[in-house]
This record gives sequence, C-alpha cells and structure tokens, in this order.
Amino acid sequence: MKLRPRSKPARKPTRGRQTRVAAATRGQAVRRKPLALQQECMLAGAMALKKSLCALSAQAGTVMLDAGAVERIDTATLQLLAAFVRDRRLAGRAVEWHAVSAAMASAARVLGMSSMLSLGGEPQ
Amino acid sequence: MTVDLTQFHGAFFEESFEALDAMEAALLKLDIGAPDPELINTIFRVAHSIKGGSATFGFSEIASFTHSLETLLDELRSGAMPVSEDVSEVLLKSVDVMRAMLRAVQAKQPIDAQRVSDLQFDLEVIIARKNQAPPTAAVPQPPAASAAPRWQVRFRPYRELLARGNDPLRMLRELSELGETRVQIDAQNLPPLTDIEPQDCHLAWTLELPGEVGEEAIRQVFDWAEGDCDLEVTRLPEGASDLAVEVPPSPSSPAEAPVALEPPPAPLASQEPPSAAPAPEASAAASRPENTVKADPSMSAHADSGSIRVSVDKIDELMNTVGELVITQAMLSQLGGQFEGPQAEQLRAGLAQLERNMRELQESVMRVRMLPISFVFSRFPRMVRDLAHRLGKQIELKLTGEQTELDKTVLEKIGDPLVHLVRNCIDHGIEPPETRIASGKPPAGTVHLDAAHRGGNIAVEVSDDGGGLDKARILSKARARGLVGANDTLSDAEIYELIFLPGFSTAEKTTDVSGRGVGMDVVRRNVKSLGGAIEVSSESGRGSRFTITLPLTLAIVDGQSVAVGTETYIVPLISIVESMQLKNGSVSRLSGQGEVFSFRGDYLPVIRLHQVFGVEPRTRALHEGLVVVAEGDGRRVGLFVDDLLGQQQVVIKSLETNYGHIEGISGATILGDGSVALILDVPGLIRVASMRRAA
Repeated sequence: MKLRPRSKPARKPTRGRQTRVAAATRGQAVRRKPLALQQECMLAGAMALKKSLCALSAQAGTVMLDAGAVERIDTATLQLLAAFVRDRRLAGRAVEWHAVSAAMASAARVLGMSSMLSLGGEPQ
Repeated sequence: MTVDLTQFHGAFFEESFEALDAMEAALLKLDIGAPDPELINTIFRVAHSIKGGSATFGFSEIASFTHSLETLLDELRSGAMPVSEDVSEVLLKSVDVMRAMLRAVQAKQPIDAQRVSDLQFDLEVIIARKNQAPPTAAVPQPPAASAAPRWQVRFRPYRELLARGNDPLRMLRELSELGETRVQIDAQNLPPLTDIEPQDCHLAWTLELPGEVGEEAIRQVFDWAEGDCDLEVTRLPEGASDLAVEVPPSPSSPAEAPVALEPPPAPLASQEPPSAAPAPEASAAASRPENTVKADPSMSAHADSGSIRVSVDKIDELMNTVGELVITQAMLSQLGGQFEGPQAEQLRAGLAQLERNMRELQESVMRVRMLPISFVFSRFPRMVRDLAHRLGKQIELKLTGEQTELDKTVLEKIGDPLVHLVRNCIDHGIEPPETRIASGKPPAGTVHLDAAHRGGNIAVEVSDDGGGLDKARILSKARARGLVGANDTLSDAEIYELIFLPGFSTAEKTTDVSGRGVGMDVVRRNVKSLGGAIEVSSESGRGSRFTITLPLTLAIVDGQSVAVGTETYIVPLISIVESMQLKNGSVSRLSGQGEVFSFRGDYLPVIRLHQVFGVEPRTRALHEGLVVVAEGDGRRVGLFVDDLLGQQQVVIKSLETNYGHIEGISGATILGDGSVALILDVPGLIRVASMRRAA
C-alpha cells in the first residue's frame, strides 16, 4: 500500500517556452546544447554545478540553461545560478532558460529571486 | 567534485539527538485529547528540522521517514486530527526509529529498513484513516487587507547558515504558509560566481507578513537558524509597506504555480473585523523589535543563544594547560620562599596573588566541563513509562536536583548504572497495584531520582516506595549458593551487601527487564571505576534506597602525599580510612599471609610500599614509619610508608596515555618541585600484593 505519491516522472517541464535574458546577443553565436540542471539541485552537488557554470561564464553568445527536470532545489544552488546570471548580464552576455520546472519557479519565487534569475520572461 | 558535507555531520547528529530528546520529552508531556499547541509545535519543528538536515546531507531514508512523520504532525498541528493514544504511541516509536536511523548513519551501518518501513506504514495508515473521515479543519483565515499593520522581518543569514543544514528556502516557504508574504532579496553582497563557496550564504531578505500572524509564529520559523543569522521582527505602522517585491506562491498549489511573475494579489476588502488583530498593542510595539518568544523549558537548550558548542578535545587541552600552569605556579611558590632581601616580600605577595588567580582559573575551567545531571535524568520518563506499561504497574517518577552539575565524563558513565537501578526498582521494588492496595498503599508506586552536592562529592539517590529488599530471600539464596555459611548470622547491612555479588539475583523468574544477575555487581564496578561508592538501605514494606556517591570530577583528586625513601606517592583521600603509628610488637607474622596488625578488632595485612615498588626506604622497622589504613574493593589493608607529607589536590595525568598501564597505579601527577608522583590505585595495589604473597 503506497499512500504517499512518489516523485513525478523525471523530465516534465511545465513551461516549454524559452525566456530571453539578453536580446543584444541574438544571432551572435552558435547555439549549443543547454546545460541541463539535475533533478536534485542540492548543496551536495553545488560544487559540481559551480564548475560547470564557471566553464560557461565566459562563453560567447547565449548560454542556455535547462531547469525543466529540477524537482528539488535549495538556496545554495539558486545563489550560484543568480550569481551566474548576474555576472553574464554585467558582461553583456545572454542567459536563456530552455525550460523551468514548477519546483524551480516556486523556489525562486519564495526566495524573491525570480527577476534576478530572469525567470520572469521579459528580455532585459 | 562536491562540497565535503561530512565535516558538518557531527554537528547535525549532535543537534538531532538533542532535538529528539526534546521531542520525546514534549511527547511525554502531551495530554491525550487536549494537547498543548506549543508542545505540538515543538515536536513538529524537530521533525521538520531533521527532515531538512537529512535531505541536505543526503540521508534519504531519514528524510523520507520524517516526511511521513511531518505529514502526520501537520494534521495534529492544524487540529485536523485529534491526539489519541495510538498517535502518541506511534510518535514515540518514531522517535526511537529516528534515533536508531541516525545512529546507524552515524556509525555508517545499514539502517534497519524493515523496522522503518513498518512504522512508516503505520504512520501512513493513520494519515489515510483521517483522510477518509470528514475533515474538521479550521476554516482558513481570509487574507487581511494590506493597509493593516504588517510585520517586517529582516533576515540576514550568516555565511555558515547553509553549511549547518539550514535552508532559507525552507524557512521562507514556511513563512509564506503563515500568510501572504512579500519578499525582497538583498544580493548586494553576492560575490562573482568564481569567488563563491557554494556552502556560504551571501544573500539576505526583507519580508513582510500580515499583522494577524503572531510574532511568535514568525520567530519560530527561524528557531533552528538561531545563532546563524540576524533576525529582526518589527511591526510596520499602517500602510507603511513599501516593498517592491515578489509574492511566493500559495503553498497549497505549488505544482500549478505559473512561471511568470505575478503582481501581488489585490488586497481583499475584509468583510469581517480582524478577529485576533492586536490593534491596540500595534502602535506600542511599533519599531520595537521585541523578543517575546515563549520558550518551552525543554527547548531552552536549543534556544539559548548564549551558548556555543565546543568539542571536548579543546576543553581537555585547556584543562591540560591549566594543569601545567598549576604545577608551574606551585614550583614558583616553592622557589619564592627561598628568596631573601627587600624585594622578596613583594615577590611573595605577587606569588600569592598568582596562586589565588590560578585557583579561580582552574575552577572556571573545571566548570566548563560540568553539565547538569538532567542530561542523564531526561531519559528516565520514557523508560519508566514503557516499563510500567509492560509490567502492568503504575509508576510515578519523581526527579529532583536535576540541575546538579557534574563532570561530563562522570555523567556519561553514570547513565547505565542508574538505568539499572531504576529498572530494578520498577521490576523488583514496586509491587503490582493490587498488592499495593492490599497493603494500604496508593496503587501507583513512586520512583524517586535525586541528585545533590554533598561536601566535595555528588550524591545520586534512587529510591522507591515498594516492598523493600527481602532479607530472608536474599539470605536463603546466598546460603543455597554457598556464599554464606548455614549458621552465619549477618547484620542487615551485610545482607544487603550480598546483592552486589556477581551472579546474584533473587527474581523468581527472569524477565527481559532484570533478573539475569548481571546487574548489581556491574553497577558497583562501574561506580567504583569512577572513584565512587554505592550504598543501599531498605525497610521492609516501605521501599529501598540506593545512594551513589561520586567525585565531582575525574581530572583532579584529593590526595594524601606520602614519602617512601626519596619517592613521593599520592593516596586518594577517598580510599583512606585513617593513618596511624604501629607500636613495636603489635605486628604478627602469619605463615603464608605475611604481616598483619590489629585494627579495631580486625587483622589487616601490611603492604610495604617500598617492597611493592622496589624503593630503598628510610626505615624497614614498622614502628618507625607510619601505616595508612586504606580500603579498596571492600578490603582493608595497611600501607606502610616512611612519612605523611600533606594533603593536596592533584591534577591527574594519565599513565596509560603517556606510558602504559601499571597495576596498582592509577595515574601520575607533577608536584610543585617539578618531580613526578605516582597516584596509587588501592584496589589494584591489594591485588598486586596478594599475588606476590601467593607467589
């Protein structure tokens, strides 16, 4: 007898649309594969994520992030993402969200980070 | 590469175990039917925090279990489910299971999955049963108009907040469950990505909540982050809300939460006057961030921000350094006495001052290691409840003197002996209710645990108002085992002493509670190993009383220094009965027994310390030296020494750590002149001497 619903199927982005962060770079560079965030984005994996983000921070053109699969995320991870988005924006480079799961959107909203993370949908 | 979270495991386990103790205590206080909401909150917070911590550290079994537990607790908290006997029982079992899981994870052992899933199943059945019943939940409060006074919460986490397993996301989400929350993030201090250590928190928040939410409720959300953040809760005057902010989604529908930012919902014009809004106090409380959290005494250990957690190693190091200082100071004092001249007086005054300060310093450091005995006592309410239940007895547990402090090491080792004594009281001492009523006593028996300072010692008493020790049965059992001759007559005290003999139990049948006879002798041995003593007194039909006397600390001993040749030895004062000079000819030689002398109608063997330690004495004639009558393991001996030098407190240095174990020596100390003196272990010395005699 299982009374507690188990986790949802892994990849189920609730929003398929893409959110543009910086319009300035449109059409500049080759589109690369989005950096897909893990299902569990917790502190234990934050160092690995930081490495991946650092590797992308100087990349020309638009960096695509895919948060469609995120089921659990914590402040540590959101903080890294916020710093990444902000650093890129300051350098005039774009970040786009390929997909954002409900869990991620809700966490960002609770922490008041939606606009910092440019999850809002408006080009900046 | 990942952040090494293992470095924070220790703190997590320690805090979780403490929290579980608090949860257990709260559960035991919980009244069936009419529970105190504050207690339920306490219990909920523990489950919640353990869930959060274990999820952070990746202990998924614990996180999953606590999730189910939390669901049930949430039902209780909201009043949707009554607290029944069943629920209370399952919650207590959950405490055990969580403790076992944490222990297993801590020891890197596999978790008993069967036990966990069984209980998780029980929890889920209870939840499911409730969900089938018609809901009785309170109608949710309508959101208040935003023009009403609001709370402003400034939450500035310290850098290490995340590393301690606290997640602002969890706290802010909880806040948003209290009422419509506006949130503004402050990311000013967020360094460039490359400079961020993922476990450091660089963010801060300002939040606004409706005025109807209790300040207490707000502060409670941050309870577990206390000491890891700055928190300011202030009441904003009416209409003062000026946050340009995001509104978190309603907790009830996180899955449907849209991605796009939505403006805060338009304020609803409330049809009802805000029932519980503290309007009159509002202005008085404005801009005055008062801390009005009503602390549950059982939680005060956690809420007390005036304490820090220090590892025992650091304190031991400190103790050691202070010990060295004491020795240096003693050396200087001795040296100071030898000076002459105009400045010698000044020097001596300075040295006297140093000595006073030293003593204070030493006492302060000793106090750091002291903990209230309530740390040990707190396990008994649960144990007594369970045992009484199992044995069908009614038992009231009385605890007094819980604040009496003693050394942590002593405290840790006294737990098991006390558990044994309390079990014995319940199993053998307290009679079943029918028997009690028949003998004119109240049906519920009382077990009383008491602790108090007595002189330089701590006395811990375990007493009951049961039937008392059965002298006749003890004696007949001892006779049956040949421990006592058939015609020997024994005093009451001597009969009671028999229960401390190995393998002695008078329980008619062996229960799983007690009666295997591996008890009182072990209790006595444990107490002795702490340098303490245990005594028993009993009155037939009125109950029995066990008194354990313990030294305040194991780091310092009161000793009598004695001279043997050029060596100095320390005899612990607790072992000394008296010291005397023997008259010429008062010593007799027995074949195979060595020398004995008469002492208060008894013949005691003489142990010549110079022989045992191979030292050249000043004199070999017994009447020229002194004899220290010492007691160990219930036997008395006369220790022959050259002279008594004086009494002093000495700091014990472990011989095992620095050299190796030597039978008859319990440790060493450094004297004022810098020389090393060995501290005698009287029971060990008696064993050594009797072995030599036998050889």
